[in-house]
Order: sequence, then C-alpha cells, then structure tokens
Amino acid sequence: MRGLMTKALATAALLALTMGAQAKETVVWWDFLGGGDGVRMKALLEKFNKENPDIEIQATTLEWGVPFYTKVQTSAAVGEGPDIMTYHLSRLPLGVSTGTLREITPDELKAAGIDAKNFTPANWEAAQVDGKQYAVPFDIHSVVLYYNKDLLKKSGLLGDDGLPKGLDGVENFNAALKKLKADGVEVPLSTHTAAGDSQWRIFYSLLGQQDVPFLKDGKVLDGGDEQKAVDTLKEMASWVADGYTPANVEYPASIALFTSGKAAMHINGVWEVPTFTDLAKNGKLGFEWGAVRIPVLYNHPATWADSHSFAVPNNKGKEISPEKLKAVLTVVDWMNKNSLFWATAGHLPAYLPARDSEEFKTMQPNATYAVLADTAVFDPSSTIAGVASPIYEGMQNYFVPAVNGQLDPEEAVKSLKDELQGLIE
Amino acid sequence: MDRKQNLTALLFTGPFLVAYLVIFIYPTIQLVHLSFTDAPLIGAGAWIGFKNYIRLWNDGQMWKSVFNTFYFVLLTVIPTTIIGLALALMVNRLSGWFQSIVLACFFLPYILPVSVVILIWQWVLDTQFGIAQPIISYFTGKPVAVFRDRYWAMPMVAFITIWWTNGFNLLLFIAGLRNISQDYYDAAALDGAGRFKQFVYITLPLIWPVTALVLTIQLILQLKIFDQVYLLTQGGPANATYVMVQYIYKQAFQLNKGGYAATVSLALFALIVILSVMQYQVLRSRGQK
Repeated sequence: MRGLMTKALATAALLALTMGAQAKETVVWWDFLGGGDGVRMKALLEKFNKENPDIEIQATTLEWGVPFYTKVQTSAAVGEGPDIMTYHLSRLPLGVSTGTLREITPDELKAAGIDAKNFTPANWEAAQVDGKQYAVPFDIHSVVLYYNKDLLKKSGLLGDDGLPKGLDGVENFNAALKKLKADGVEVPLSTHTAAGDSQWRIFYSLLGQQDVPFLKDGKVLDGGDEQKAVDTLKEMASWVADGYTPANVEYPASIALFTSGKAAMHINGVWEVPTFTDLAKNGKLGFEWGAVRIPVLYNHPATWADSHSFAVPNNKGKEISPEKLKAVLTVVDWMNKNSLFWATAGHLPAYLPARDSEEFKTMQPNATYAVLADTAVFDPSSTIAGVASPIYEGMQNYFVPAVNGQLDPEEAVKSLKDELQGLIE
Repeated sequence: MDRKQNLTALLFTGPFLVAYLVIFIYPTIQLVHLSFTDAPLIGAGAWIGFKNYIRLWNDGQMWKSVFNTFYFVLLTVIPTTIIGLALALMVNRLSGWFQSIVLACFFLPYILPVSVVILIWQWVLDTQFGIAQPIISYFTGKPVAVFRDRYWAMPMVAFITIWWTNGFNLLLFIAGLRNISQDYYDAAALDGAGRFKQFVYITLPLIWPVTALVLTIQLILQLKIFDQVYLLTQGGPANATYVMVQYIYKQAFQLNKGGYAATVSLALFALIVILSVMQYQVLRSRGQK
C-alpha cells in the first residue's frame, strides 16, 4: 500500500515537473556588461529566474563595443539574433538605420504595463526614431571624477565636507594638477589615454560645458566651433604633455593606477563604482575614495551621458511570437522595477520610481553625483553617433594620437570633421 | 576525339568544374554585381551604376589604405625572402637531429594562431613592463608605445608578420637547396671557386625558381594583410596602419555599406592579379637570362 502511494506521488510530481517545463517560455538574452556592473546584472538575472518560474532567461555576455554591435547586426539580419538585448540609446538611430531593431508598438508596451510617465521625457524620446519606440531605457550612465581623499587632502584640495575643492575652471584645475605633481603624486590624473571612447566622453563633456554642439543641422563642428574643439583637445593633450597624465594607458591599467594609490584622480564611467566599492569593502584599497561630477572647467556644468536600454532585434524571417514578446516585455518591466539594485552598479536608474526613492537618495556615492543627470549632454542623435559608431572610431583613430602628442590637434579635428561630414552627405 | 572520350573526360572533370563554378565563379560574379549596387551588409540593394567606382576614385582614406598596403608589402616581402634564404643556407649546413631541432624552432611560430602571436608581442612590447622596451629605450631614450605611434606601428606589424610567417619560407628554401646536386659544388671547388663564388654562380641561379615562388606567394599574402592590423591597431593611429582589407571591413561591418565594400574588394583583387602577374613575368625573364 505504502509502495503504491509513493509511486503515485512520484508520478504526479514527475507529471507536474514536465508540465511546468512545457509552459516555460525561454528568453534568449545578450548583453555587453563585462565590467564591474556585469556582476550586478548576473545577480539580477538569477533573481528574475527564481521569481518567475514560467520564464527562463538564457543569458550570454558578449564583448562590449564593436564586437557586440557587429554580431547583433549580422545575426539579426539572418534571423539568428537573441530575443532581447541591451542597447546603447546613443546608437539607436544607427541601429534603426541598419534595420537591426524591431519597433515596440504602444499597444505592446501598454499590455506589458510599461508607461512613458515613469521615465523622463528626454530619456524616453531618446529611445525613439521618427516617433516610433525601439527600446525601453534602463539607466543613465556617465563619467565621474573618482578621487583619492588622502592624496587630495595632503595637497589641500579636499574640503571639510570630504569633497574636492578648487578644481573648477581650467586654470584652477591645471594648478591643482601641478600642485599634486609638486607634492610627489606620481599621477595627478589618470585617464584611458589609449582609448578613443574614453577620450570622447571627456571631450564631449568639455564641449557641453562651452555649449559647443558637435553636430548641428547636419554639420560637424561648423564655423567657429571647429576652433573651440581644437582648443579643448589641446587642453586634454596638455595634461599628457605636462606629465600629469601618463600617455597611452589602456583601460585596465588606468584603473590600476588609481586603485594602487598612484593616481590622485581618475576619470571613468560610473560603471566602475562597484570595482572600488568592492575593493574598499574587502579592505584592499588602502585609501579613502569618492566620486563627484566632472568639475566645471569652462562655463557651466555639463557631463556626457548615455543610456543602457533594452531592445528587441528585428530577426529577419523569424518574427518574434506574441507569447515570446510578452515574456520579453515582462523581463524589461521587472528589470526596471528592480533597478534600484542596478544602481549599486553605479548607474542612475532610468525608472523614475526607483530614482526618486528614498533609498536611492541616500545611496553613496551615487547620491553625490546624481546631480549630473540635470546637466547631462547626450551624444548627438545621428547615424554617425553612439557606441561602435563612426564618431567612436574616429576618436580612436585621430584623437587618441592627438591626446598623446602624436598628431597636431588641428589636424586631428580637421581629419575627423572631414571624415564624418563625408559620411553624412 | 570521339564522343565517348569526351564524355569520359567530362565525367572526370565534372565534379571539380561544378565545385569551381559554385564555390568560386558564382560568388565572384555576385561580388561584381554587388559593386554596382548600394546594398547594405546583408540583403540586396538598388542598382546605382558606376557611383561606387567614382566614389572609390575620390576617396582619400581608400588611397591612404592603398599606400599603406604597399608600404607593408615593401616592409615584408623582400626582407622575409632574404631572411628565409639566409636562414635556410645556415640551417642547411647543419646535419642530423640538431638540424631538425633548429628547423623546428624556426618553424614553430608559423603554426601559432594569429591571436596567440599578437598576445605574445603585445606582452613583449608593452610600454610599462614589456621585456623588449629596454632595447627600444636604449635607442630612443624612453619606452615607446609602438602600436600607438604613427611611425613605429607599421614597421612593428611588419616585423611581427615576418617573425610569424618566416618558417614557411625557410622550409621552401631548404627543399630547394636540397635539390641542388652536390656534384656542382664539387666541380666548382676543383676549379678553385670559393664559397662566395659558389653561392653567386651555383646556388643563386639554381634556387631562383623557389625564390620567385616565395616572392609571389608573399606578395599575394601580404597584400591581403588584415588579422594583425585588426588585432593590434585597428588602422590607427591617425590612419597609419589602415590597409585595404581593414578598410573593406570598416565599410562592410562598421558602416554597413556592402556595395561599396564589394567595390574596394574588387580593386584589391585587380591589384593582386596585376601585381602578381607582373612580378612573376619579371622574375621568370630574369630566371631565363
């Protein structure tokens, strides 16, 4: 009798299991989050899979930048793309122009409970081309100035509030760099001088502080803006020429200069916040650190910013089924509702209920630099802009040699301008 | 010939012909067709006549990449041939298992995948801790980020390419040298010819067909330079290493311009055909002299 009972129970359990498996919708997910924030995303994905037994996300992390976007574009064109992917809003016009992205209709968004009013209008509209929605914003991310409190304090550049002081204005900033160097700091400012994308973020922030549009009415650095761009680039090159910033430093080496205590300041994306947080937590950093908005070197505050978003690839010949799309949008909605945790990766949540929450307002160091969102300058909305775009490539090709004293800044700006203008026409 | 023979001939050549037509001729025709359209990377485009060709002619970066490709060919083809021959002459004088070991050492880099080769040299030449930097510093006074320097980048890519591929040339030359009968040298020695005269009047003329072959293979191979540049410099800094295949890659995969990429590909194809035919003719006429 007992044996029979066990058998019946086991059969029932087995049945339930297989039925559960049948009803489960799988969502193939691609992202490019390989930095400090990738660890946070993995935790989010695990949590989602645990909380949503009827949907299973199969996630793959690919290499950021050109490799990711080339793969996405070619795989979507032959119907082999994922069901959902992360996508930079800066690149959205370019992605739409190559037919890589599928429109998400207002009805589909409404059915999933995704509402525009939960995002700032500028952020929401950045996910549109010609009034059609192609993505849902997930965060706003930017570059910030990381600083070593101990080193700044020694040079009298730290206020009583623990924030850097005396860095605003080009002269003051350069004087601060000089002071740090004189006080024996090996690297006053560490940036990725070998990486075009990083130099773009700094350059575009500084242009924004002078209200110089990089692209306006289809013209790249038109008229007097070209000279202003040259002057800005010269300023960036002078940090290397004067020995404040080491030349030709790759991304990881630049971070290492800061974490090893050799660099007093470091300009990098907010996505490296977890790297420093985790190091400090484990007692491996050896100094007090902080992060603030990029100092105002010119007229007013402005910082380059971009957004991670979620998009559905336009898989040619393999249209996504309504059930699958529903599951995908469920994932998107869930991610946004849980984006307070994503903020621990340094980013500012795009989802306003998360950004306005009390918890976010006290989260450090995010709360200190969150003001940058008000004065953020986003990449020009154009098919030449965004991650892995012609602008980024031109930065690597022309601006990196200029910053490192290999190429005359005038020639660098002119070459970049000519090349990009040629692509627009 | 009767019909039966013709049929037999067709039966034997048929499989090759079909494969050749499907795998080589058809895509080539498609490529030519593509070059007259504004097609994206994947999918068809509209017929635009000679627009791509006109653009090609006026494209500054494309001419820069042609120039860079020639520069790279100049830096690699003749040096690698001379080094290959010189090494072969040395290795040939060794014998037994020692020769095999030396030969294996020189051939080893050739079997490495390009990604491994690049990682090795990025490490060796790293600005901060590369073991080759003291040597560079000895001449320049300070470490040089060779792949980020306009003047160093291309010669360094060429140097790495020679290091990587020279083993194969060495092998071809060894085979050529072994084909030269010892009798010639014995006869020359009897007549009082020294080592140098033996090399100039016996080895060099008799090894010439192999030299011509190596030069031609190298020319075709190096005109198609891409992997090393893509992995090391992506065409930079300031276009210093933009070569033709890198430019094709940019047009097709980064700018989504399949039609124009096809046009540049055809230009490269034409260049390779013309240059290799010309070179082979020149070398052959020299050999017959």
